Amino acid sequence: MKRSSYELFFDVPIGPQHPALKEPIFLKLVVEGEQVVKADVDVSYTHRGIEKALEYGNYIQNIYLIERICGICNVAHTLCNVVTVEQLYDKEIPPRAQYIRVIVEELARIHSHLLWLGVAAHEIGFDTWFMYIWRDREVVMDLIEAITGNRVTTAINTIGGVRRDIKPELYDRIRKGMDFLEERTKFYKKVAMEDPTVNARCAGVGILTPKEAVELCAVGPTLRGSGVKHDVRADDPYAAHAEVPFEVVTYDTNDVLARILVRIDEVLESINMVRYCLDHMPEGPYRIKLPLAPPKGEAIGRVEAPRGELIHYVKSNGTEKPERYKVRTPTFSNIPALCAMLTSKGDYIVNIADVPIVFASIDPCLSCTARVEVVDAEKGKRKVLSMEQLRRKGRAW
Amino acid sequence: MSELTEEAIVERLREKFGDRIKAAEITGPRRVFVTVDPPDYKEVVRFIARDLGLVHVQTITGVDYPDEKRMEIMVHMGRRITVTVRTSIPREKPEIDTITDVVPGSSVHEREVHDLLGVVFKGNPNLTRILLPEDWPEGIYPLRKDVPLEEIRAKPLRGEREA
Repeated sequence: MKRSSYELFFDVPIGPQHPALKEPIFLKLVVEGEQVVKADVDVSYTHRGIEKALEYGNYIQNIYLIERICGICNVAHTLCNVVTVEQLYDKEIPPRAQYIRVIVEELARIHSHLLWLGVAAHEIGFDTWFMYIWRDREVVMDLIEAITGNRVTTAINTIGGVRRDIKPELYDRIRKGMDFLEERTKFYKKVAMEDPTVNARCAGVGILTPKEAVELCAVGPTLRGSGVKHDVRADDPYAAHAEVPFEVVTYDTNDVLARILVRIDEVLESINMVRYCLDHMPEGPYRIKLPLAPPKGEAIGRVEAPRGELIHYVKSNGTEKPERYKVRTPTFSNIPALCAMLTSKGDYIVNIADVPIVFASIDPCLSCTARVEVVDAEKGKRKVLSMEQLRRKGRAW
Repeated sequence: MSELTEEAIVERLREKFGDRIKAAEITGPRRVFVTVDPPDYKEVVRFIARDLGLVHVQTITGVDYPDEKRMEIMVHMGRRITVTVRTSIPREKPEIDTITDVVPGSSVHEREVHDLLGVVFKGNPNLTRILLPEDWPEGIYPLRKDVPLEEIRAKPLRGEREA
């Protein structure tokens, strides 16, 4: 494809409504014809002031607020919260709790990755695939409900362990669910690798070179899709991850297809990790009581959320309330990488039609009601496209 | 990426910077905290990124200590081991060098700290608003301790219609 020769630049703002995301993104694109030449983002739209609010709640209350930072990765957030705060106490957490944490975390990862895969299928106009994936995702949602009592907001992690035990009679049901999901996910991998639609829309699109990925501090599947082998679960193990074996999945084609395949393979890895945890589940208590006020100190906790490395920092002054609590979500760290993916340079051309799938490829929780406003700078005319219209444009391209 | 141990990282830093490293402690497995003065901050970050190979900036944390009249800036670096470079800047004039030219990915983190704590990163080419809404009042930095929740709630936003 040749570079455009229009030499007339337009601003195309995309966003900003993304309610499922902590940082809803407003993309400011400069386009020349159909090609994006510059991308900038604004994530200021629903800043909820959670870090400030956390200074006003005690550590137990904060778990519930932190759980609500993100609906989809609520398990990752509470897990990161408890592993961070537990470092202050310097007490051994029962191994059974650590295994249950890994099981719920990996089930949440399966549900998040399948959700994302469905969204990606929808973005490229492959709605049949989307519906099949979301139907199968119900299996894991039901398992999460059976274990924790809730489909989405699990409220399982607490400081000192987990709030509910997994009953032995559930083991078989979880194993059966995993068998079903493994078979289906393998089929989806075949589809992703062989289907011409997926290939045409995803291969060679949204390129992020390994050098850029490292320098721009990309995290999670976005980083691993560029062939850089880093995963917090392997690099900085928390909960029972030091004991549960798994492979860090990487693909080196650097494009959207690589990110799809990384996530599909991670689902398969997670299924095996859940099985391992069930087979090797230690006996014993699943929770210890810890005092409400941790000792003075500070701690950094890192968790591999479905979207990548999640970091919590806590500074305790010895009272029931934290002096400072900081949260860094993976999507925030992936913003510079996203801008790089959305910028045409040299032979690499980004079309407007590819923006939705490239944007979705970092997994920013696209349950969006986003709209696109096309501004004609010369004539001062404005027209507003909905995300649906943009998708249609994407399919027609 | 880096196979250096926690002890090796501290040793390399002490070897290179000597007394300019004010404190270095290993607080737990894979956690290193290094304290430096603001003038050395950028050089230490550059050494960690370029020479020790810990290119990844996880995030930048700012903490306000009004009683001690200082703000603390912490840069958390590394993929496997987290090396935290910590420095204190005066509260009345919160300024520090940017590290975006060393690690380009740190730009969003600097903008976040600028937005929420009012720290100026000298040399950052794009130090604009990133998290707070467009109509957030100028000069109120919500994560500073002297800005209580009640005051934030009471402030009318610039775009708010008069009742």
